[in-house]
Amino acid sequence: MSDKNGSIQQPGTQDLDLVCGTPEEEEALLEADATYMKQLAAVKQQLERVQQQRSDLPPEVRVGVYICRCGGNISDVVDVERVAEVVSLIPGVVTAKVNTFCCSDPGQQTITSDILEQNLDRVVVASCSPSLHEQTFRGAVSRANLNPYLYEQVNIREQGSWAHRHDPEGATQLAIHMISAAIGKLRYSIPLDQIKLPNHRKALVIGGGIGGMKAAVDMAGRGLLVMLVEKSDRLGGRLNERGRVYPSEKMASELVTELIQKVRANKNIEVLLNSNVTSVNGFIGNFRTVITGPFGPAGATESTDALVGAIVMATGYRPYVPRDGEFLYHQDPCVLTTPEFIQFLQSLDARTKDMVYQGRTIRSLAFLHCVGSRQLDGVHEPQSDGTLNTYCSRVCCSTILQQALAVRERFPKVRVYDFHRDIRTYGRGEEDYYINASKAGVVFFRFNGEDPIKVERNGHAGGKKAAPLTVTVKDALTWGEELEVPVDMVVLGVGMMPSHIEDLVESIKLPTGEDHFLQEVHPKLRPVEVAVNGVLLAGTAQGPMNIQETLNAAGAAAVKAASMFAKDVVELNPFVAVVDASRCTGNAICVTQCDYEGALKMVEVEVDGRKVQRAEVNAGLCSGCGACVPVCPSRAIDVDGWRLDQYDAMVDGLVADSAHSQCGVEELVHLG
Amino acid sequence: MTLATDPSKPYRPDALVVGGGIAGMQSALDLADQGLKVMLVERGPSIGGHMIALAKVFPTLDCASCITAPKMSASSHHDNIKILVNTEVQAIQTINGVHHVKLLKKATYVNFDKCIGCRLCEYACDAEYPDPLEEGLGAKRAIGVAFTNAIPQKAVLDPELCATCGTCARVCPTDAIEFDQQPETVIVETDAVVVASGFALNSLNVKPQYNAMRSKNIISGLTMERLLAPHGPYGRVLRPSDGKIPSSVAFVQCAGSRDASIGVPYCSRVCCMYAIKQAMLLSGALPIADITIYYMDIRAFGKGYEEFYQNAKAMGVNFVRGKVARIDPVDDGDLLLHVESTEDAENFLQQHRHDLVVLAQGMLPEWDMSGTTPVRRAPDGFVATPMLTSPTATTAPGIFVAGVAAGPKDIVDTIAEAGAAAMQVSQYLYQKRSIAVDQTQAAVLVG
Ligand SMILES: Cc1cc2nc3c(=O)[nH]c(=O)nc-3n(C[C@H](O)[C@H](O)[C@H](O)COP(=O)(O)OP(=O)(O)OC[C@H]3O[C@@H](n4cnc5c(N)ncnc54)[C@H](O)[C@@H]3O)c2cc1C
Ligand SMILES: Cc1cc2nc3c(=O)[nH]c(=O)nc-3n(C[C@H](O)[C@H](O)[C@H](O)COP(=O)(O)OP(=O)(O)OC[C@H]3O[C@@H](n4cnc5c(N)ncnc54)[C@H](O)[C@@H]3O)c2cc1C
Ligand code: SF4
Ligand code: SF4
Ligand code: SF4
Ligand code: SF4
Ligand code: SF4
Repeated sequence: MSDKNGSIQQPGTQDLDLVCGTPEEEEALLEADATYMKQLAAVKQQLERVQQQRSDLPPEVRVGVYICRCGGNISDVVDVERVAEVVSLIPGVVTAKVNTFCCSDPGQQTITSDILEQNLDRVVVASCSPSLHEQTFRGAVSRANLNPYLYEQVNIREQGSWAHRHDPEGATQLAIHMISAAIGKLRYSIPLDQIKLPNHRKALVIGGGIGGMKAAVDMAGRGLLVMLVEKSDRLGGRLNERGRVYPSEKMASELVTELIQKVRANKNIEVLLNSNVTSVNGFIGNFRTVITGPFGPAGATESTDALVGAIVMATGYRPYVPRDGEFLYHQDPCVLTTPEFIQFLQSLDARTKDMVYQGRTIRSLAFLHCVGSRQLDGVHEPQSDGTLNTYCSRVCCSTILQQALAVRERFPKVRVYDFHRDIRTYGRGEEDYYINASKAGVVFFRFNGEDPIKVERNGHAGGKKAAPLTVTVKDALTWGEELEVPVDMVVLGVGMMPSHIEDLVESIKLPTGEDHFLQEVHPKLRPVEVAVNGVLLAGTAQGPMNIQETLNAAGAAAVKAASMFAKDVVELNPFVAVVDASRCTGNAICVTQCDYEGALKMVEVEVDGRKVQRAEVNAGLCSGCGACVPVCPSRAIDVDGWRLDQYDAMVDGLVADSAHSQCGVEELVHLG
Repeated sequence: MTLATDPSKPYRPDALVVGGGIAGMQSALDLADQGLKVMLVERGPSIGGHMIALAKVFPTLDCASCITAPKMSASSHHDNIKILVNTEVQAIQTINGVHHVKLLKKATYVNFDKCIGCRLCEYACDAEYPDPLEEGLGAKRAIGVAFTNAIPQKAVLDPELCATCGTCARVCPTDAIEFDQQPETVIVETDAVVVASGFALNSLNVKPQYNAMRSKNIISGLTMERLLAPHGPYGRVLRPSDGKIPSSVAFVQCAGSRDASIGVPYCSRVCCMYAIKQAMLLSGALPIADITIYYMDIRAFGKGYEEFYQNAKAMGVNFVRGKVARIDPVDDGDLLLHVESTEDAENFLQQHRHDLVVLAQGMLPEWDMSGTTPVRRAPDGFVATPMLTSPTATTAPGIFVAGVAAGPKDIVDTIAEAGAAAMQVSQYLYQKRSIAVDQTQAAVLVG
């Protein structure tokens, strides 16, 4: 790949060279499958080299073991000093040290200087989950010029001290067992190189709400190519259905128009409306996607293939829709959700003095908080799939107070009641709505989650003046008194649920949380990334957010894409299947077990002048799941970094160690 | 490692980040990963900000150090990041689109190029004082490395506390101590700035009716963090006045926020959650203690936060909805809370006795840059931003903002915002430089 693609260089300034190709160059890229194949050939060569190395394993290893106290998270339960003492006796262990925070800089320095000074060629860190810090320690090991795959992380925190809080001796034994197994594995570890594959510097953004548009504008504004796919016929998402938005009281349409103009003005962004992403294959840097659309009245017209390096999920949310009859929804015409109410207010003529809905003059109005959110087991009725929306939807409190205030200001005669559990106007400028709504005469009632509100039709059909609906609340602001509040209209402050993207979740294998929103890897370490590398989250597809938070999430996703595209190649862990062609008999059983399309196939090769079939792995597509390994009758296929001989060694390590628990240290030393 | 400057060549970063808290570090990393050169300037002796002093963090209950220390380490090892500590950003002047950032490099009295962080000076020094990083609970010497996992691992001498006995200079194996060092003002030129100057808490005494000045057992949330940290000053939770193990702890919410009369009408956004977190950690550390949170609204709005709150309830933390009207110190160092409950009609003026009280102070901006920089603040004191269009932009082109400097927020929201700010910076630079190139090309064509 050319790295000069349109890059802007200026003497004396830092080169901002992550600019991707012009569309023509990108076109060329798409055709350049040859390059791609070359890269794959390089990978194959690497794998062959690895196989050769296998036969001459180092007979001796020099292992450094680092046991982390994790401040106390580990050492309050596990006797880390004893662990160090015991594992230091295992043959090959040169040093075993305890550190308060292995991941801190001084902790990492200890490891790097030991590698250099004591000639270590294997490293074990017994600490937290590898998902937290495997990268950290691989980096530290690399800085000392040791191959990062000669490193093992043993999780004695989540799986040790935390899981066995009440069994310190057991947790200590467990730590010894697991470290011993890791050392066993490392004996058979060989240096591996990261797999390097081409990086297609183009992003696919799915969803054209403000989150998707902002991510697109940010990336394109940085010189990257973006494809923005929106399933509906226009950009803007849910904000198209809103009026003025808090906290600035700008019109939502203004915000949307402003962003659309930026999208349209940037030639790096290609917008596809009425379109769906119908297929996603591949991996970071190399997603092969199919986009179907535009959908006309006659269904789908055509489909486009796109090769992209990153996918930004900006598919947004849908408001909770109450069940028929939930607070009389769909049973009384004047029970509305907040989005419906916002539309209704918008539709009223600016000069109207009275609030009239479906022929009913609204003189009093109740807002109900937490409808479809903060649901409690045994109190609320589950969704159709049996789950509860236990989460807080974050935006509905401020939305309600904004609307309540708007009603009081526009229709001072309308009495406004607010029924809440907590008022969560947490954001900048949001508390003002609460203060101002109180000042403007909104009357507040508070209920406990365990005592839900009831909305009923007024029993006494009575005189003309009687309000048709009654809200019954056990009011916590007046010490739990049961109050009945007659009203003409009830507005349900509905929460957020994720958009229906089950198809994408399935095809990209996206993880979702218990709340059904897309799940980030770690809220603080990798907040906009998901477990599928190269897939990023921008906005409410991840969970409830207001506009500001959505824009920030989109920016954070864009910056991850920009960092990713700053490199010419993507580097993947080399944990992929490798075939030992000399053992493979060509029966193709492995291929039938592999779930990853294209990862494993049979190819024709010549052996002794005969044409035979042998299995071949595409390292880019193989997930390293290992499903192919146990089915091979001739043990010809293995996953690097997790080979069968390594597993054997781990088991040996465990057995040796349990022998130790029973018969003493000598045994361990002997067996180890 | 971090301070080796070549005096002959002034270093010119693409972007300068003000503040080495989690916001500043994340912005710096996200810029550096794009190939941009960053200068990260921190006023204190180590990067890490408030977060490195926390015990565990909601909602995942990860130890704060486990998240912060690796980011600190990554910042310090990144080829594109240059860290300056003990250095305060004092002013920014923008001339022709170039920001001239005025830095005050404080005198540390230790030559960082020579210091190897062995701490021998620290062990030898006799001048002890309460450690600010331990909220005054532990002791610190007049010279020493800020804390165990500080970055950089360099000793700093505090001239206010030093008795000038010269012991440290005698024990230092590298002759790093320089009593004659002078503070220095430097101007760094750069094209973009990220303000990530974070927060300060308002005083425990903003509400005189809480009588915090009359009892050591009325403490701040940050002090409770240190008490709960496994590597904290006492290694366990003891109350400050007499070292007693507390048996009844109260959290008083909104004790410095949501009150226009004290100048903080807004919500500080993190205190509900950290009180719940601390309550949970306390019920682990002190299983028999009873723990009560006095609140008006529980603001558990983030992803997984409501569930966290419900868990705390299930674990037996008491949540009492009511206003704490007054706190009176009583005998034995205990405290009497006068509570206006909204939950109990018979008995709505209640009194509760506790032996330790944590006040949820309000978050204020740490750095007032108005006047000395082109950046403007909003009436709430935090940096003014166009929240609904570009939340990390400021009123000054080329200067961006992230983290609590732009309004209270928790770590999760801070990290997202820091990434967004880095994105704005790289776009700004890209566009600025594209135009610059266009103009040079145009000039070539015309000329
Ligand atoms: C009643 C209510 C009032 C609100 N008021 C405010 C307010 O005043 N201030 C504020 O800050 N926030 C407010 N919010 C929150 C605000 O609406 C959201 O923060 C914002 O809309 C989120 O934007 P988004 O891009 O993440 O999602 P969305 O707006 O939902 O956009 C997602 C887009 O993705 C598209 N999409 C979905 N699936 C696919 C697919 N498979 N393929 C292609 N495209 C797809 C959708 O069609 C849509 O265009 C309010 C929310 C509610 C519920
Ligand atoms: C008691 C307590 C507990 C908390 N617990 C949690 C929790 O469990 N989970 C969670 O998500 N959040 C928690 N928070 C919130 C969290 O601390 C903040 O979200 C986070 O620290 C904000 O980071 P920041 O980088 O914006 O600010 P800071 O951490 O304040 O960093 C700003 C840095 O800038 C430096 N600086 C300021 N001005 C200048 C200048 N002029 N020149 C140079 N340097 C300067 C400061 O010295 C400081 O190091 C808690 C807060 C408190 C008070
Ligand atoms: S934001 Fe308010 S109304 Fe919405 S779920 Fe949370 S507490 Fe309930
Ligand atoms: S390891 Fe899994 S993905 Fe890879 S070839 Fe084997 S079965 Fe397929
Ligand atoms: S000279 Fe100052 S810093 Fe050094 S040992 Fe003496 S008192 Fe401590
Ligand atoms: S100043 Fe000297 S004695 Fe102190 S930590 Fe540095 S090198 Fe060690
Ligand atoms: S977060 Fe909670 S305690 Fe803090 S100011 Fe807001 S409501 Fe009060």
